[in-house]
Amino acid sequence: MAQLAFRDVHKAFGAVRALAGVSFTVTSGEAHACVGENGAGKSTLLKILGGILRPDRGEVRVDGVPAYVTSPRDALSRGIGLVYQERLSFPNLTVAGNIFAGREITTRTGGLDEAAMRARTRELLDRLHLSIPPDRRMERVSAAHAQLVQVARALAFECRILVLDEPTTSLTDAEVDHLFRVLGTLRARGVTLLFVSHRLPEVFRLCDRITVLRDGGFAGTFVTADTTPDAIVRAMVGRDPPDRLERHAPVEGGEPALAVSRLTRRPAFDDVSFAVRRGEVVAIFGLVGSGRTELVETIFGLARPDAGEVRIDGRLVALDSPRAAARAGLALVPEDRQSQGLFFNLDLRQNLALPLAAIRGGARIDAAAETRVADEQVRALSIRAGALTATPDTLSGGNQQKLVVGKWLATGPKVLLLDEPTKGVDVGAKFEIHNIIHRHAARGMACLMVSSDLPEVLAIADRVVVMREGRVRGVLDGPTAREEAVMRLATHEVEGAA
Amino acid sequence: MTRAWHAREASTVAILLAEVLFFTWFLWPEGDRSHPFLNVGNVLLIFKYSSIYGIAAIGAAIVIICGGIDLAPGAVIALTTVVTGYLFVEAGWPLWLSCGAGLLVGLGAGLVSSALIVRARLPPFIATLGVMGIWRGAAYIITEARFYDLSAKLPPGWRVLGVPGDWLGPLVMIVLAAAFQLFMTRHQWGRHIFAVGGNEMAARFSGILVDRVKVLAYALAGLLAAASGVVLAVVQGQGKADLANGYELDIIASAVVGGASLAGGRGSVAGAVLGALIFGVLRNALPQIPGATFYDRLIVGVVVIVIVVMDQVLVRRER
Repeated sequence: MAQLAFRDVHKAFGAVRALAGVSFTVTSGEAHACVGENGAGKSTLLKILGGILRPDRGEVRVDGVPAYVTSPRDALSRGIGLVYQERLSFPNLTVAGNIFAGREITTRTGGLDEAAMRARTRELLDRLHLSIPPDRRMERVSAAHAQLVQVARALAFECRILVLDEPTTSLTDAEVDHLFRVLGTLRARGVTLLFVSHRLPEVFRLCDRITVLRDGGFAGTFVTADTTPDAIVRAMVGRDPPDRLERHAPVEGGEPALAVSRLTRRPAFDDVSFAVRRGEVVAIFGLVGSGRTELVETIFGLARPDAGEVRIDGRLVALDSPRAAARAGLALVPEDRQSQGLFFNLDLRQNLALPLAAIRGGARIDAAAETRVADEQVRALSIRAGALTATPDTLSGGNQQKLVVGKWLATGPKVLLLDEPTKGVDVGAKFEIHNIIHRHAARGMACLMVSSDLPEVLAIADRVVVMREGRVRGVLDGPTAREEAVMRLATHEVEGAA
Repeated sequence: MTRAWHAREASTVAILLAEVLFFTWFLWPEGDRSHPFLNVGNVLLIFKYSSIYGIAAIGAAIVIICGGIDLAPGAVIALTTVVTGYLFVEAGWPLWLSCGAGLLVGLGAGLVSSALIVRARLPPFIATLGVMGIWRGAAYIITEARFYDLSAKLPPGWRVLGVPGDWLGPLVMIVLAAAFQLFMTRHQWGRHIFAVGGNEMAARFSGILVDRVKVLAYALAGLLAAASGVVLAVVQGQGKADLANGYELDIIASAVVGGASLAGGRGSVAGAVLGALIFGVLRNALPQIPGATFYDRLIVGVVVIVIVVMDQVLVRRER
């Protein structure tokens, strides 16, 4: 049993205040949630707890005693185990090697005691009901299992306080259930939990109390039994949650703006057909591995299909390059803005003007035209940035995402493909991005969106195409579809087969 | 049981064997003449020649596994021969002490590289490129275009602990390869080197002292390059500033052919030594083929590419 307390913790990075006097207490043996929008300071707080960062002022107390955690090793030796959100595994080491990295079981001379580590790994994995061989290389372990291996790693050192940062992001519902059962057992054995998450339903399911951070400050601690998700969202954004969107009718009749027929790329997806009309928002919903990202990437010419065709306004699109796709009127807002969406070495103007210039071709850079294009998007999408000469890393996650949307809207696409357009952005930015999608749909653009956020899908899509194991399992009407119906199509038989 | 020996090393052995078989067949002599390639004297020659960069390739593999690169070993080898030669020939130090001083020079060189990388945060390529010039330059400054003739001071037919001079290089290479193979696979520090090369951020978050691991890797690389230099000085009997010119590329190529990935986290010390032998055989056998004299460099280049491409195809299939 251990108690954890933050006392007036401050941390600034240059002029940016990440934490401005955060204080709250996690009582011994409780499951405590820490929630907040992106940039609220959760990650910074965890990095201080883990010994990656030092606070400028204030302290962390464990069992009432100030704990100056100086390194990740120090955190572990104090019984604080952290499971970070980042992909912190070693692809080149085995599962056992990952669990014991940095704290290997050794002989006196530093020789590795592989047998002991393997036995202990098996024991830990058994405890988590995981059947992964300890000798398997991490690169061959699925993302969900990799997350659980991180939990096993924290458990290997008998921690009394277990801190989890967004541990469910890449897990399916069944895997989340599994993780929560494990966490339940740990609590029963007296481990104190600090759970950081965006997903309020999970927070309400697991935690006794919820602490909300807002703009680096403390916005309140709530007893779960006495509060509601709406109250927590209000505390997170500091105002009432935005109203629901107003819908508009898609354009009826005529040639569909985007028609996909019998498109196949094995093993990702097989025989996929659907159409999106002008002014329509269609969502593709499916679990990780259902082939949805591969599908939009293929439509955009990033990978060649085995069979099938894609038409825009009835005209066949050559699926051989993103350039050809963009010239035909397609645009893709990719899943990962950091690695696929933005150039962090270029400024906002160059980022925003790049796709348009690339599609048009030509050798000369017209700075005035670039500025015009960039200005227009910054205004239209209300991207909050210092100047057009700033680089994307100075922007918040939500504004970065709007930047990626903007650079493609600048090309005036007929069909906009969006892959997880609101992943990792805060509530406010999410609402803005939904509005952008709807505004452009109202002007006749066809939108095809991939999302794993089911409430989002139901809130903004006119129709929902549900995929499972690379095939379309059903098409539902967005406004009337119910979550359970969508989930059943997305997961049906998966349980039995797994 | 840890497997100190993996499938990847086995495939390097297979390539080496195939190569030996090929040249044995191709160079089979007419009539009763002795085989020009497969005879004890020539095999020893191949080992002797390969050991010079094979020993340094052990260090190159360690640095590459750690996610870095070291361009300095050729220059460190030259500087070591010069320092050892100077102390032994000019300053009159005993041989073992001169060799020890040479090794310390290499260790120091590795520490300088690591300081530039860890403290000054220079990219390893740049840091070791600069350092390469400095050590080569230092060797020229010390020698002023002379060279130290160690062989004149060594008694003819001399032995170290009963080992004839010709066997010294191969023996040192084999002993060090075995020792560092075990170090990398069975020791905690070796594991940490793999961890840092596999995911530096994760290593930091795991409480591994990343900077210290890097210092260790570059220090070992410097020390092993110096060991090459000492062997070269003693076996060839020379300390000279222009020795081992361009060896850094052969050394890195040996490690890569032996399975080291320049992306870090993957590779093998034993593989690097086998890689050195693969090149040693090529360099020895190609000139014996009539008309191939001018082709050996080109063929060596092609072989590097073919082996690495083959490796990638196999890895991809495995996934």
